[in-house]
Amino acid sequence: MAEDALPEAAERRLRSGAWSSGLSSADFAACLAMGLEPVGLVQGFCVMRWGWYGTGNPYMSPWSPYASSGGRGYSEVFRCPHYGYVMSGEHRTWGQNYEQTWVEDAWHQGFGSAYARLVQEAAQAGAHGVIGVVDSVRHLSDMSVTEFHMLGTAVVVGGATHPSGAPPWTTYLAGQRLAKLIEAGFMPVSLAVAMSSVRVWAYCMTDYLMEGRNFSWGGYGAQEVDQVVRARMAVRQIARKHVRDQLGGDSLHGARMQTSGWSLAEGDEVVECTLRGTRVRRYKDFGPVVPPVPTVRLT
Amino acid sequence: MTGAEEPAPDVRAELRRAVTALASPGASGHGVTSDLSIDEALLLHSIGWEPVDLVCGVSVASVPAGVWSWGMGEIAVASDAQGLAFTGAVQRISEECRRVRGHGVVGVHVEVTVDRHHIDVELVGTAVRPVQGAEGGEVFVSDLSGRDFTLLHQAGWGPVGLAHGASFVYAPRRSAATSIRQTGANVELTNYTEAMYSARELAMERMQQTAITMRGTGIVEVKVTEGPMPFAGHAIGFSAWGTTVRLVADGHRYLQPRMVVPLDDAVVSFEAESLRG
Repeated sequence: MAEDALPEAAERRLRSGAWSSGLSSADFAACLAMGLEPVGLVQGFCVMRWGWYGTGNPYMSPWSPYASSGGRGYSEVFRCPHYGYVMSGEHRTWGQNYEQTWVEDAWHQGFGSAYARLVQEAAQAGAHGVIGVVDSVRHLSDMSVTEFHMLGTAVVVGGATHPSGAPPWTTYLAGQRLAKLIEAGFMPVSLAVAMSSVRVWAYCMTDYLMEGRNFSWGGYGAQEVDQVVRARMAVRQIARKHVRDQLGGDSLHGARMQTSGWSLAEGDEVVECTLRGTRVRRYKDFGPVVPPVPTVRLT
Repeated sequence: MTGAEEPAPDVRAELRRAVTALASPGASGHGVTSDLSIDEALLLHSIGWEPVDLVCGVSVASVPAGVWSWGMGEIAVASDAQGLAFTGAVQRISEECRRVRGHGVVGVHVEVTVDRHHIDVELVGTAVRPVQGAEGGEVFVSDLSGRDFTLLHQAGWGPVGLAHGASFVYAPRRSAATSIRQTGANVELTNYTEAMYSARELAMERMQQTAITMRGTGIVEVKVTEGPMPFAGHAIGFSAWGTTVRLVADGHRYLQPRMVVPLDDAVVSFEAESLRG
């Protein structure tokens, strides 16, 4: 889809007199009270073919896949501690954690395209911002296809002029929560979303520990699985770093961190982390907040 | 909780002012990242605290093969594994909190997964500190929300850390005669009941021992999970965790809450079914 053109039907719909909105009645009322007027329900889609070994992955290069993750990501090597023993050929003398930057790039391309299309629709409708954004990332049927979808309500701020050339601001918030955010001195700038992916190639100790076979090397009690712990910490830290890179000096409000992982073989796994939130800019200092008064509801 | 009486701000004017801020570049430096709601952030601010950064801690501890096979008494290795994983995760989230100069972590989401060969613990929360506070000493980790943290603070109490205890116990085998006698009968399976009690006592005792080690007075918001393992029905697991607290003021401060009558009661609608009597 061309980046600078909306589908003809979408243009016609946005030009029509009536508007649509994804807001609940309560959120709609709260937005009107704030001076936000809905313009239309705007959406963005992007469907990506999804393969773990896509462009940029080290398996497709003539170089060792284990060298690094393209030289720009997290990578850590683990060595077998059983030096001097006679090993079978299956003994994993070496292991590595590495960031799958090509998977992250594909995810960001899909999410970024859907987001750009949502913002484009809003801009075309003359909106100042998009509120109550909802996004989803899901696999379509059994195919290696992933759909990125987001929708939100485009709004204009009554009596305000939008900075020329600036894209509409976006936020996951709507209604009362948005009103409270603004009253507290924060203005939403945009969504801040990032995904990270780390692959664990298990070395012998990780293999034994994740399969409960550590006794084969003389250990029996509970032990921490260092390689997996480091991978799972790293995947979260990388997601936070990616989001931080989008923030400038602004803050992230309402962060939601979600992780998932799946086992590939004995000890081998992939862990992924997505971090979402609204990038907010402070436009006034915190006023003194009076100590809250505790209440008991008589219901 | 409600604020004291104040004139309502002109939200429309505030919004127009906020929009103009987008024309100027944001501040330089390190912004805040937080998973707290705006209500929680404001409540923290009202008691002189602020969020700093989103922090997390993870640990995975191995459970040796064979421990879930039928036996007697506690499955000590599995209990140790959960204790080790919890301690490791708390240690890592505390380190991250210290690194961002937080004094503690609030609103920690605790996720514990027990697998046949490993136990995973994941913690995510927001590091907080007093506004313009000095470098902190020992940091606390708490699963209390920002609102609960504020309430505790107002009452003169403070969180000390996350207390945790776990135990896995075998449900003893029934004798052949008992098994036959109980077949098809509606009777209590005392071996399971006893295993649950045994696991409960061990786990609760461990959790309280952790609280004592932290020099806490008590534990609030205790969460409990219990039941047979999905991969070993004869093994009963019991986990408990909560926030250890102690009095930090000179004495307990009574909050004396104000009573309010909300005017948004649910409407009782007419139900045709009621005509049947």
